Amino acid sequence: MLLEMRDVSVSYGKVSALRNLTLKVPEGGIVTIIGGNGAGKSTTLRAMSGLSKLSAGEIHFDGERIDHLPPDRIVARGIAHVPEGRRIFPDLTVEENLRTGAFLRRDAGAVEADLRKVYERFPRLRERRVQLAKTMSGGEQQMLAIGRALMSKPRLLLMDEPSMGLAPVIVEEIARIVEEINAEGVPVVLVEQNAELALDLADYAYVLETGDLALEGPAEELHDNEHVRAAYLGV
Amino acid sequence: MIELLAQTGLNALYAAAYMSLVAVGLVLIFGVMGVINFAHGELFMMGAYTVVALYTDFQMPYVLVVGLAVMFVGALGIFMEWSMFRPLRDNPLGGLVASIGFLMILQAAVSMGFGVRMEHVPPVTQEVIEFSDRVRLPVQRLVVILAAVVLLAALWAFLKKTRFGWALRASAQDREAAALQGISIRQTAQIAMFIGAGLAGVAGALTAPLISVNPHMGHSVIIAAFIVIIVGGIGSLEGAVIAAVIYAFVHTFVTTFYDGVVADIVGLSLMLLVLVVKPTGLFGTADRA
Repeated sequence: MLLEMRDVSVSYGKVSALRNLTLKVPEGGIVTIIGGNGAGKSTTLRAMSGLSKLSAGEIHFDGERIDHLPPDRIVARGIAHVPEGRRIFPDLTVEENLRTGAFLRRDAGAVEADLRKVYERFPRLRERRVQLAKTMSGGEQQMLAIGRALMSKPRLLLMDEPSMGLAPVIVEEIARIVEEINAEGVPVVLVEQNAELALDLADYAYVLETGDLALEGPAEELHDNEHVRAAYLGV
Repeated sequence: MIELLAQTGLNALYAAAYMSLVAVGLVLIFGVMGVINFAHGELFMMGAYTVVALYTDFQMPYVLVVGLAVMFVGALGIFMEWSMFRPLRDNPLGGLVASIGFLMILQAAVSMGFGVRMEHVPPVTQEVIEFSDRVRLPVQRLVVILAAVVLLAALWAFLKKTRFGWALRASAQDREAAALQGISIRQTAQIAMFIGAGLAGVAGALTAPLISVNPHMGHSVIIAAFIVIIVGGIGSLEGAVIAAVIYAFVHTFVTTFYDGVVADIVGLSLMLLVLVVKPTGLFGTADRA
């Protein structure tokens, strides 16, 4: 397993956000976490990347325990997190945003090559590379957030609601990009409210409900599951 | 009349110089750590007392003392980060209250060590540049102006051209997102505190021979600095510098042509006016305010 969460609980003050979650991310493939508002999806990703501290449990990445590390050390190990709401740097230019993603890298030549790759993947970002990030549309900002994460040359990509607030045609484009990145060998943990999209893309899925694991299984099976269909797919 | 205007302009330039050093540090700390450092005026005061202790009493060379003041007050800043702001990282209001406590500790410590009296710092240089009979610029004031220009230019270059400067700017815009790019929150907080406190310290050390040094001298400075960062737009370093210049000119001219109390009223009215017309400050953006 590339990443393993064992009995992880997270609380914000006295409010328990996630209880005893055990979750595995294999090498390759896409794992999705679906659920409604407040189900603990974002909290799960925040725990993985070190933004939220655990109140119980352990997280192992590549065989080593990482749950005591600060976020910058976890990035250094190869986990990149595209946060909810994109969180690009509004007053940096597009290119500065991308270069910030490579903050820890010392291989200057390879960084330039990766920057060119990001621009090839997202031609819109190249067109706007000297523009301040805050002047871009929601879809472009999402692409920037993904590009920035790729600039760290991740071994695991965490994506929190990449489809949120975007027009259907942009959502399709983002979905295609997620598949593309995964096909190039980067495993993805995808958190989504859009369960239809998530189950289409993913190999394996976890369903969270108010902080507890409700269901897990291969994405295709969950797609046909009565409860999932009624609660999340609206059929 | 022209001579009076010229002289007042020079006075204002001097006030703008040390005011912007203090205000920029305050903005930097707020930007990177999200905490309002109420003890910033007392860091200015500590810079001045470093001069009282080492230059007046121990007669060490002034230039060396200014350097030591930067290091000492900068180290105080790092201590504040470690002892208060880091444990209270998710609680900006708690950080603010803790900094008020620290302010009182510094005032009390200085009062115990030096007494509540005003300290007289002997002039470092008596030299005066005379443009004419009534337009004069003491060299000590010129030093403050030049130091501010050099230090602010150096800060600008640091923020724009270096790796740590880059990290500081990213953290100031979004701390969590910066952490997710591998930028250490702890390290950027310490750098911001060292620079912010060090700038207040150098302002205090450079102005010490020109003003009355006493344990409560930070008070007027912090109020002026708050007006400046609100007018400039909280979170904007450029705004802080420009607002410091505007405020210093308005305050100095009104003081000269009316009196100091009216100048304070005008200064605060200026802040109110900006808050009503552009609540984010002249250079602030909505999401930072």
